[in-house]
Amino acid sequence: MKRLALLIFLPTVFIFAQNGPDIFGYFETQMMGANPSGNYYTVHSNKLRFDISSQVSEKVSFAANFDYINYFGKKDWNILEFLPNRISSEIPDSIKPYFILPFSDRSFLDNAYIKVAFKNFDLTIGKQQISLGTGYTWNPTDVFNIKDVLDPTYEQPGHNAIRVDIPLFERVTFTGLLSPEDQWKNYGKMALIKFGISHFDFSLIGIEKIWTFDNFMTFTQSVEKRKLIGGSFAGELFGMGIWGEFAQNYMEKSKDFYEAVLGFDYTFDCQLYMMVEFYRNTLGKDSKDEYNLNDFMRYYLSEQKAVCRDQAYILLNYPLTALLNAGLISIVSITDKSIAIVPNFNYSLSDNAELMGYFNLNVGKEESVFTKEQGNGFLIRLRYFF
Amino acid sequence: MKRAISFFIAVFLFAFMSRVYSQDLTGDDIVKKVNDLINVEAAYMKAKMTITTTSGAKRTFIYKSWSKDKGEKALMRYLEPSRVKGQAILMLNNADDIWMYFPRTGRVRKLATHAKKQKMMDSDFSYEDMGSGETFIEDFNAKRLKDDKYKGEDCYKVELIRKKDADVSYSRLIMWVRKSDFVPLLIEYYDENNPEILIKRLYQENIRVVDGIPTAFKIIMKNEIGNSSTEIELIEVKYDIQISDGMFTERSLKK
Repeated sequence: MKRLALLIFLPTVFIFAQNGPDIFGYFETQMMGANPSGNYYTVHSNKLRFDISSQVSEKVSFAANFDYINYFGKKDWNILEFLPNRISSEIPDSIKPYFILPFSDRSFLDNAYIKVAFKNFDLTIGKQQISLGTGYTWNPTDVFNIKDVLDPTYEQPGHNAIRVDIPLFERVTFTGLLSPEDQWKNYGKMALIKFGISHFDFSLIGIEKIWTFDNFMTFTQSVEKRKLIGGSFAGELFGMGIWGEFAQNYMEKSKDFYEAVLGFDYTFDCQLYMMVEFYRNTLGKDSKDEYNLNDFMRYYLSEQKAVCRDQAYILLNYPLTALLNAGLISIVSITDKSIAIVPNFNYSLSDNAELMGYFNLNVGKEESVFTKEQGNGFLIRLRYFF
Repeated sequence: MKRAISFFIAVFLFAFMSRVYSQDLTGDDIVKKVNDLINVEAAYMKAKMTITTTSGAKRTFIYKSWSKDKGEKALMRYLEPSRVKGQAILMLNNADDIWMYFPRTGRVRKLATHAKKQKMMDSDFSYEDMGSGETFIEDFNAKRLKDDKYKGEDCYKVELIRKKDADVSYSRLIMWVRKSDFVPLLIEYYDENNPEILIKRLYQENIRVVDGIPTAFKIIMKNEIGNSSTEIELIEVKYDIQISDGMFTERSLKK
């Protein structure tokens, strides 16, 4: 039925499009590998993404994208192999098959929305990107997305929403957003005001949203309302870029928690770029002895942002040539003093083709977040844009 | 006969006064005229940027840009290649405030001014080189050198020496400014720490008058150390235009 609707909807938009639809996208092929518990796995994927955008009239625009991903190689990964031995050894054999993470072929409509630019505000309706906060790796104020710390700039999934952006004064904008759920009382609701003072941007945000997370010890699902108030800023201090985010989360049933991010960056005259970002999440545990199965599973399945309480992300990037950038990332668990070292590169093969890759080397002690027990991993990705 | 003598005297006086006038110009006067020329009230441009790397590989970008209030506000949007299509940069307050928009993630990122030192799309231009603003006046002291010829054109030669505490990536610049219209035909950029090391040369060529303003349709930045170069070719230029302030907002950045 959804496909039928799409088949009817898209040609209609194209027929009425003034300038004709603009079709572009990319093909991405990648190989990801890991060697947990002495085993060596690789999974390969091919992703084809079609983007369509069209200026339907002077005020109305339409954009959508459709993704198809297929996997081959080792398609079933046993998450237990990535957990500290203390935790995985406590899981009864009878439930171990439930910890297999399948890489299943998928095709889906990622974003599809119409944007109407009225004189005094913009209205966006449909499945759309929602990007909140100023953090690079972690965004405490973003309850819609959780970034992959190894790949934080990768595009996030679209979210169904009705969004209004109202410029009030110079450098002051109000954004209101509704994210539909099964009943009105469960609708996600967001109000955000963004303003600029001198060389700083600030935002204040309030969100109410349903949060679903799994208990992997009992195999039950918990649904509760989450209310967030917070804010963010980005600017410059003593020549360095500085940004921060804070979010206090009030939970309906479970314990309240807060998240905070503080980041700095600088470009040296030799073109070396350096970034440091600190992250605190009081939902994370403040000692490695407290880590449990749920902490790791929710982290791996992007239900929560961290296992431990305090982390840091350190990035160094240097353009070796006009075509080749080399970088070194360190992701540090300050809580348990473990570290993942991630050397990476990005090479421009042509105007529209790029090759990127990284290796992640976990060098933490046993039972830490970045424990050596997890083994190391890598990712090589080739992308061609059309 | 009288008319011929009068004409001769007028021509002589004009030539004499011009010479006196051109000799009277100080380095600061020349740089101010250059500054006034490049910082037009409003501008729209469509341009093709071609990077030639040290290995000879080429990368091409096409972008549109709008500027207003003598370059104090500027917006740049990439059209090609697909890899960067839709990416946009907003610069306000002479590029003291920079925002970058990434359409695939819908994210707007505020960059600190140190980002101006970064290479624009890995080209030989830094964001600092691309921003117009008042940098020649605010960040450098000008000193007029002995006039020179460049490609057969009479030029003022001016040395710009970085002011103490100015946050720019070059210790000094040397400019060859065409006397007839104050277009800088050649600019040499010297290393931040060693004023004897030439690092880049900017060439302005194919100069045509658009809406009364002499405009270089071909700009080449040559890296004298890495042996790479970047050429910007103007496809379309308009100066006689009205651009609303709404163009230089985050709302417009995301369009």
